[in-house]
Amino acid sequence: MKFGKKLRRQMEDTLPQWRDKFLSYKDLKKLVSLISATQPPCSKAEAHFIHFLDAEIDKFNTFFVEMEEEFIIHQKELQERIKRVAEIYGVGGSQPLEEKYEAEMRKIRMEIVNFHGEMVLLVNYSSINYTGLAKILKKYDKRTGGLLRSPFIEKVLKQPFFTTDLISRLVKECENTMETLFPAVLDQYQTGEGGERTLIMAEQVFRNTVSALVTMKELRKGSSTYGHFSLPPLSLSLPDLDLLQSCMLPSPITIV
Amino acid sequence: MLLVFWITILKEQNWMVNYDSNSLLNTFLIWMLKTDRSSLKPPFRADYYSSYCSYTIQTMHRWKEMETRLALPAGKVTIEQLCKSGNSGVMPSSLPQLPITVEERFLELPDSHQIPVDEMGNPLVSPYSSYVANTGNVQTLHSSPSGSSSVHQYPPRLPHERHTNANNTAINAGNSLSTYSSHKGAFQASTNNFSKDPVEVTWSLDSVQGILNSDDDITGSNPIQSSSVMITHDLSNQKEWWNNIENEDWKELLSDMTAVESQPKVVYPAAQTSQNISVLHSQTYQSVPCHSGDLTVVTSPLSTTTAAAVKPRMRWTPELHECFVNAVNQLGGGEKATPKGVLKLMKVEGLTIYHVKSHLQKYRTAHYSSDSSEGTSEKKATQSEEFPALDLKKGFDLTEALRLQMEVQKRLHEQLEIQRNLQLRIEEQGKYLQIMFEKQCKSTMDKLHVPSTAEEPLSASSDLPTHMTIRTDSSIDPKKAEESFKQVVTKRKMPEVDPSSPRDTDAIISTTSSSAKCSRAEDDEL
Repeated sequence: MKFGKKLRRQMEDTLPQWRDKFLSYKDLKKLVSLISATQPPCSKAEAHFIHFLDAEIDKFNTFFVEMEEEFIIHQKELQERIKRVAEIYGVGGSQPLEEKYEAEMRKIRMEIVNFHGEMVLLVNYSSINYTGLAKILKKYDKRTGGLLRSPFIEKVLKQPFFTTDLISRLVKECENTMETLFPAVLDQYQTGEGGERTLIMAEQVFRNTVSALVTMKELRKGSSTYGHFSLPPLSLSLPDLDLLQSCMLPSPITIV
Repeated sequence: MLLVFWITILKEQNWMVNYDSNSLLNTFLIWMLKTDRSSLKPPFRADYYSSYCSYTIQTMHRWKEMETRLALPAGKVTIEQLCKSGNSGVMPSSLPQLPITVEERFLELPDSHQIPVDEMGNPLVSPYSSYVANTGNVQTLHSSPSGSSSVHQYPPRLPHERHTNANNTAINAGNSLSTYSSHKGAFQASTNNFSKDPVEVTWSLDSVQGILNSDDDITGSNPIQSSSVMITHDLSNQKEWWNNIENEDWKELLSDMTAVESQPKVVYPAAQTSQNISVLHSQTYQSVPCHSGDLTVVTSPLSTTTAAAVKPRMRWTPELHECFVNAVNQLGGGEKATPKGVLKLMKVEGLTIYHVKSHLQKYRTAHYSSDSSEGTSEKKATQSEEFPALDLKKGFDLTEALRLQMEVQKRLHEQLEIQRNLQLRIEEQGKYLQIMFEKQCKSTMDKLHVPSTAEEPLSASSDLPTHMTIRTDSSIDPKKAEESFKQVVTKRKMPEVDPSSPRDTDAIISTTSSSAKCSRAEDDEL
């Protein structure tokens, strides 16, 4: 699958409010063809191209930093909520009510998982856009014989949208929080029914599908044009593949 | 929206469920929907995004319409014709602004290259003028004689100047859409950097004036004006807030473009700050200021010359946010706290009131939406109390489903991190090899120029693992050398690409360095 198509599918599957924040790969490709069709590297044309790219980068940066800010706020809120719930309804709290505690906790867990998912999707957003930029620059250099790629990519590497360290840190913190919030449910789980489990999995299909689809796309990232700056092909181990496929493929399931 | 999407998925998948499970399904549907709603953005934001999206789409449609009406040109013609269309030495007057985001402006720009122009420059004028009309420009227009002399300043540049010129033309392209007088100062200041082209900056600003002059009879502008009026109405609620934000974004964006180094303008609190802030953790609700003398504001040199209210892009961190929350709580909570008060309390250098304002807004929506969701969850809790048995079962299986989802997400994140590290390393190595190559070239050139001196110790760089001994002729031009360099690098990189253990970054790096060492022999042969 060509990158343009991959990108398009990502954009379709992603959260709706994110759709216009991705790289305008198609437009950039058109620009490159236009530039290469007219004449050998013209400085004005190159300036246009650079200008377009800068605009895109700024779009990413703005969006990314904004989302990052929101995630920071949201994470704090979740932490506060957990504390509050534990204090009020938890064991040894002011109004210890196990059912209410459980209900609240379930809600919080779900929110945290979704929150985690959103953050990972943001990291993925960053990655996809970077890849797109790298590709379009490579294309530009190839079609026009320019030397734009290297210095430009260096600049990109420093951009806020690509420095995802903070988000990764938030993700890890989220995971740690999850560890503590998913207590000894394991014992009770084992008595649950398998069928119900799959049904309930379906309820979360929305978020799950998005992540799974994204991961599947990563799977198919074998490059057709290996260059000195290409990434090696990516492959997940088999158990994961099965897991993903079971999530994704439509399968009639009878539930008694 | 989510509900519909999800229902269609299930229908497509033709899940066979019996009636009881159906009602279970419905309950879950409702539950999930409610949960998702609470994590979605609050209504006003959704409104803004939808109107923003529709506006963007509208604008793009209009651009496309114009494109189809006019014939496609040769790409390079645009700016030249733009020059011809007119300019003067008149100062552009400050123009009122609609709350259009920066993204929209730049959405419009990409299409500009496709807009053709005839000898008179008229068709070019219309899209630009309609764009300007879009931005609500209704100021009096100054007459502007055409500065055709400046056009001649646009001859093709020498290759080694290309980068500078590219920046310059980027400035010009940006200027042609600039409608802020304050920026003229900035751009003129930037001309100090590009001493060769002082005139160009001025004329391109002036060309905007020329465009504005011939604005009157353009047919395309009217519908856009009316749509812009409509959009103004839609966004009037957030106008003040957005005006502030955009002002800064737009100015900072332009100064980004004009910056020679193109540094990202971000506020990065240094690592030490976090230590200070963690001390604060234990001291809630106390008037301890946030020690952030280390807070660095990375701005381009131009930002100091632009108008007063410039705002470099702010990057929040959890520590800074903690500081913020403390300040807010001291002031009595999200509702009561004012940006000014919070700013004062936080005592963070480089933090402006605009940062605080926007952050406070976000905080409020997050804080109070989560509060309301807790309220609704109480109702749910009572519901679930009625069916405790069912609920428990639901709970366990739900948790398991969440676990699975979490696993998938974790895996994705892992892969993304690995990928990112790989990309960084690849670029690093590429850059490194290029430096080596340039050094090699240079020393070879030196050798050729000074044949009497002993052979330059290329081995002086022997501490570096790669040693390129490409023989280059003195007549070779940089480009050809670059290409041969690329070939070498390709050969070098190919062995790196083959190993199929991509998950282990370290393995890749070690194979890279070992392959680099191995291919030293290859190089010697070249």
